[in-house]
Amino acid sequence: MKTEEFLRQVTALPGVTGNERKAAEFIAEAFKPYADEVEITPLNCVIAHKKGKGPKVLICAHLDEIGMMVSKIEDDGCLRLERVGGVDPRVLPGMRVRVFAKEGELMGVVGATPPHLLKDADKKHNYTFETLFVDMGMDAETVKKKVAIGDTVCFEARYVELKNGRVATKTADDRACVAIMLRAAELLSTMQHDADLYFVSTCQEEIGSYGALVSGFQLDPDYGVAFDVTHAEVPGAPRLSSHKIDSLVASKGPYLHPYLVKKLEDAARENGVSLQTAIDPRYTSTDADDLSIARAGIPTVLLSLPLKYMHTNVETFDMHALMEGGRLLAHYLKSFNDSWEGELWT
Amino acid sequence: MMLDTLKTMLAAYGPTGREGLVAEEVKKLLQGKVDTMETDVMGNLICVKKGQEGGKTIMFSAHMDHIGLVVTDIEDTGFLRVTNVGGIGIDSMKGHHVTFGNGVEGIVMLQPTKGEAASLSHLFVDIGAEDKADALTKVNLGDVCVYAPDCVQLGQYRVASPAMDDRCACALLCELLMQAENPKNTIVGVFSTQEEVGLRGATTAAYQVAPDLGVGLDVTAWGDTPETKLPAVKLGAGAAIKFLDRSMIATPVVRDALIAAAEKAGAAYQREVLPFGGTDGAAIQHARGGIPAGTLSIPCRYVHSACETIDMRDMDSALCILKEFVNGTY
Amino acid sequence: MDLKTLCEMNGASGDEKAVRNALLEAAKPLCDSVKIDKMGNVIAYKKGTAGKGHVLFSAHMDEIGFIILDATEDGLLMFRPIGGVDPRVAVSKYVVVGEKKVKGVIGALAIHLQSPEDRQRVLGYEGLYIDIGAKDKEDALRDCPPGTFVYYDNDYQEFGDGCAVAKALDDRVGCYNLLRLLQGTYPCDITCAFVTQEEVGLRGAYGAAFGTDADTVIVLEGTTAGDMGDVDKVKRVCEPGLGVAVSFMDGASIAHVELYREMLALADEKGIAYQIKRGATGGNDAGAYQRRKEGKRTCVLSVPCRYIHGPSSVIKLSDVEAQYQLAKAFAETR
Repeated sequence: MKTEEFLRQVTALPGVTGNERKAAEFIAEAFKPYADEVEITPLNCVIAHKKGKGPKVLICAHLDEIGMMVSKIEDDGCLRLERVGGVDPRVLPGMRVRVFAKEGELMGVVGATPPHLLKDADKKHNYTFETLFVDMGMDAETVKKKVAIGDTVCFEARYVELKNGRVATKTADDRACVAIMLRAAELLSTMQHDADLYFVSTCQEEIGSYGALVSGFQLDPDYGVAFDVTHAEVPGAPRLSSHKIDSLVASKGPYLHPYLVKKLEDAARENGVSLQTAIDPRYTSTDADDLSIARAGIPTVLLSLPLKYMHTNVETFDMHALMEGGRLLAHYLKSFNDSWEGELWT
Repeated sequence: MMLDTLKTMLAAYGPTGREGLVAEEVKKLLQGKVDTMETDVMGNLICVKKGQEGGKTIMFSAHMDHIGLVVTDIEDTGFLRVTNVGGIGIDSMKGHHVTFGNGVEGIVMLQPTKGEAASLSHLFVDIGAEDKADALTKVNLGDVCVYAPDCVQLGQYRVASPAMDDRCACALLCELLMQAENPKNTIVGVFSTQEEVGLRGATTAAYQVAPDLGVGLDVTAWGDTPETKLPAVKLGAGAAIKFLDRSMIATPVVRDALIAAAEKAGAAYQREVLPFGGTDGAAIQHARGGIPAGTLSIPCRYVHSACETIDMRDMDSALCILKEFVNGTY
Repeated sequence: MDLKTLCEMNGASGDEKAVRNALLEAAKPLCDSVKIDKMGNVIAYKKGTAGKGHVLFSAHMDEIGFIILDATEDGLLMFRPIGGVDPRVAVSKYVVVGEKKVKGVIGALAIHLQSPEDRQRVLGYEGLYIDIGAKDKEDALRDCPPGTFVYYDNDYQEFGDGCAVAKALDDRVGCYNLLRLLQGTYPCDITCAFVTQEEVGLRGAYGAAFGTDADTVIVLEGTTAGDMGDVDKVKRVCEPGLGVAVSFMDGASIAHVELYREMLALADEKGIAYQIKRGATGGNDAGAYQRRKEGKRTCVLSVPCRYIHGPSSVIKLSDVEAQYQLAKAFAETR
């Protein structure tokens, strides 16, 4: 499948953390043409194995997305929501949301007390999950019949092509990076590589990188390559924690292995792919954190795709940066070989 | 009888990190009723009741520990300085009667805070000691006191006690292990340690047991007293099947199997979405290569106070659900 | 290897190479096998004489430090801490940058140029820069590119009444004592684990815990001592000079009850100076050892350390000796 078509379809699918099955099934199908084996684990990680003689490399990007869950149904039939992952409730008012009920998908509208009915002082307060609700457009009795506490709710999804190859969509965090892995797997199908490759689309990153933790344990790889999104520059963003939107970013810091980072920089230079640097003095808040200490430790690198408006339904990235990321990843993975082991600590 | 088992569990001394006496009570109850019982390095008591051929292994975890105060220093005047073990509120401790493992009794008090916000370092415990030397004959640094055991029946169905979190689940797990006859699946009942400081016991237990499925057994919060809204859980409306808390999102297959078991058994149940908290279920789910896991909760009012209150009908509902669940096909 | 040499080496979390290599060389002649594991830990194993179990002694080789993020157009380096470093202590200190040890100072706006309100404000890392004398951004980043590690530039000195002052005493004292332990032979097998990345989340120890079959772990640490000046009495958790500090619990682990009691009884029996740490704050590698795989029995023995995580931490050498004696006695009585 063409990378763009994959993105268009995969970002539209629901995959709220902990309930990622639909997204996982689609991703598993997409990897099949480029992998020797594809597995969906009981916790909804998708593992696509592309065989090689070794070393064993785990590449991961997460397939789950932030969203909500129904926490209560009020007597008047409106739904109260609880966040799943870091949802900013301020983006919700007026949004059409998708409620995944037992009998199928329903649409609801996020409502709140209209400003006309608020005291001036209250207008200065932000919307919170306590003050917002979902209007299902049905009477209370019907709502209670159709919707239950615990049903997942996800953002409205559109795939909007902006100028200059920029794309705005739901769940670019982190399915854009899954697309990078898929693109690399596709490119590698016509390249020679030593490494035994496991492309893992991980579950449950948004609440604590559990998918990376358990996959690292399950697969016991020699090396880890984690992919996630990072912040692209927008007005007012702190300079030291945002990056240009047009190319990938490699992280440096105690959690990332310096030798693997150096090899990544080599691969970028040799293949003419531009690469920015980020410094993470401590945790990276990505799958890299847990992956790198799975089992007895896994030397790991972190690559990130810059993204504007993270954790909204209009996450915006640069398609060119994404495609170049796929090319860089393919060449980087091609370069892994047995001689690295002896050089890790010298 | 569930109520008798519960009372036995509530009476045992067992703060976080010092759960040995609770484990002894469980052992006495289960002697001869399970296939194996072992205590591991972390103090977890792991009890196995073998299932039928072809069945799966299901780990249930109920934690034995409860919150307390640890002695960090003794004043020359014989008063004890303490800090928390697990999440303890100063307001809920002040003026309370506490006991140590060796039976020494004390009263927790708050010194004048001189305008500062009250903190744990303002608390002290009076054990009636004349001075430091006298105090040292009774307790030492590192000893832990807990709310003195208590058990009050409220109305026909409700019971209040300081140790309800999580001894009610220990009682439930004991009853399950005693009552399940020739279960289809192997039941591994883990009476875990150190849950209140971060699911530490269940983490290592889940690694060793490496079950096919896991279920945490714990109390959950309530939304049915004045001005309390969430979670949408009530006492007396049945055990709560967890969808989400801050430690875990229940694996859909386990959560749905618990719902199916409840419906098959005709037991009342509630659906629980809890905006805070965590249980041993999370430790199981995140163990090894990932293990499908969920949590069955007993609704409990006033959690982490000296009067944690549950409804015995919810305990009965939970036991019905679990007895059905262990005979499911997975 | 002496404590001075150990403390004067630079090795922040993630940049332990120099320390790792030195420890590897020092441990080699003292043990049966030594390796670098996947977290970069140095794992030294020595077989016992009587097959009486297997005890792991652990100390972390990493220290706090700083890392370069970028430079300003006029050549000042922007940086952030590795591990918990109080920016109020960093102001106006000597540092060295990178493997080439480029000299620098951490500057701040002269007090004359600060408004009265500014003077009340804590200088955070946003307002601190490292000056290496660079002409401009390019000149600054040439030798000190983003990702370069930075260290306090201070030597080790003994002073006062049996005291020592140095950077990195947390936890080179533990490393020093592990090397001493390796010089002996014990009835039990011992593993001495010199672990990485403690200061950024016990990460080396997580790896070491997975890779060992020892079921008992004794962690040798340096811990916060606040025993002078205005520290509240209830917050004075330990004092230099009173002996090795034994912890019953801290933020990351609860000592195994029997092991803890055994340790106190042993110290009493052997007449080794000790103090019970009067608090339950902080956290160290025991938390990682206890939680990995099936879990391990842990106990923490610490050297009280004043001004920990600063350029000039202070210890009493007698406490270092007590830490060694108690650890050694424990290994001998297996």
